[in-house]
Amino acid sequence: MNPQLEGIETLEGTYPFDLERSAKALRVNRFFRGLIVPENRQLFRDRPEAAFDKAGLTDEERQMVRARDWRALVHYGATFFALEKLARVSGVSNPEMVAQMRGETLETFLKTRNVPGAR
Amino acid sequence: MARIIGGIGTSHVPTIGMAFDRKKRDDPNWTPLFEGYDAVASWLAARKPDVLVFFYNDHATSFFFDLYPTFAIGVSDEFAIADEGLGPRPLPRIKGHPRLARHLAESLVNAEFDLAVFQDLPLDHGCNSPLTMLWPHSPDWPGALVPIEINVVQYPLPTALRCYKLGQAVRRAVASYPEDLKVVVVGTGGLSHQMQGERAGFNNTEWDMRFLDLIEREPETLAAMRHVDFARLGGSEGVEVIMWLAMRGALSDAVRKIHQSYYLPMTTAMAVAVFEEPEAPPRAAAETAMHGARIPA
Repeated sequence: MNPQLEGIETLEGTYPFDLERSAKALRVNRFFRGLIVPENRQLFRDRPEAAFDKAGLTDEERQMVRARDWRALVHYGATFFALEKLARVSGVSNPEMVAQMRGETLETFLKTRNVPGAR
Repeated sequence: MARIIGGIGTSHVPTIGMAFDRKKRDDPNWTPLFEGYDAVASWLAARKPDVLVFFYNDHATSFFFDLYPTFAIGVSDEFAIADEGLGPRPLPRIKGHPRLARHLAESLVNAEFDLAVFQDLPLDHGCNSPLTMLWPHSPDWPGALVPIEINVVQYPLPTALRCYKLGQAVRRAVASYPEDLKVVVVGTGGLSHQMQGERAGFNNTEWDMRFLDLIEREPETLAAMRHVDFARLGGSEGVEVIMWLAMRGALSDAVRKIHQSYYLPMTTAMAVAVFEEPEAPPRAAAETAMHGARIPA
């Protein structure tokens, strides 16, 4: 156990991106990171299944990506900063991602914010 | 001799750059953010640093987990603006300062900070998001930037204390650079935010205010904290404020915070603060005094 993280498990709904998660989710994180290359984005938009094949994603991984299931992807081991690239390519905003991870609608989430119009 | 004239702590959330690119200054949802940075931009315009040494983190953009450095310094002539999924922001390439950067790399490694060295890699929002609020970019940036990347993404992260000591080593390294350069150190990230899991959307303004106070007066207190303490108080992604400690470590005990602004519209607390070192004796006056001493009575 990393002594810097001792007690982190008491923070509910928090998944520190450590080496174990990084190893488990290397393939999906690499796929998301690859979306910074225009050709990969184009392939993903035009033929998502071909893009999944190229990245060697498993069925479980493909299903989470198809569903844009941010919460499941975080549980699986994706890092938010790789997911952010999938979100940008998918036209999904960070408030929408956060709302989904909290299990709320965007409208409900925005009501909890100081400046709901700052999007 | 090169000299650190001050420091800046700033959030680097991508929406800061987005608000800038979409010209949101007159949108009341964003005006407070722009106004908070006005004093910082004015201070930089008045003090005219030659170089910003930028403690930032890459977000799995130019570095990936096949090799994710704990610390890395960029030594190129220039750095491209990264494409993070929407194409690069429409900005000129960021100028590096290869001579100072090489000197810092040599000094830091010899001081037992064994950082990685990178060239020719794009800089992502960790660096470019706040930069447009700090410096004008048209027709070009007014100075150079030396990027020092810190891993705040994949645990194990460097400790808060290690980041603080890195800053202290950067201070010594800058002071040993022979060319006359004015340097401002910039620490990026934070403040409170959590972007993952069911706790996403967590903020803690009370803690943010305490952090903004401690970073000026008691950085050692912050440097003694563990990552889990930062995550509990400021959210899992709020841990990245350890990069402010690198900035603070590069400043003296006599530094004073002369500006602070805080805006929390949505998910990330956006803060910016300026720390100014006491003025060195003006160069012209010092030269006059020396010259005067040589005139026979």
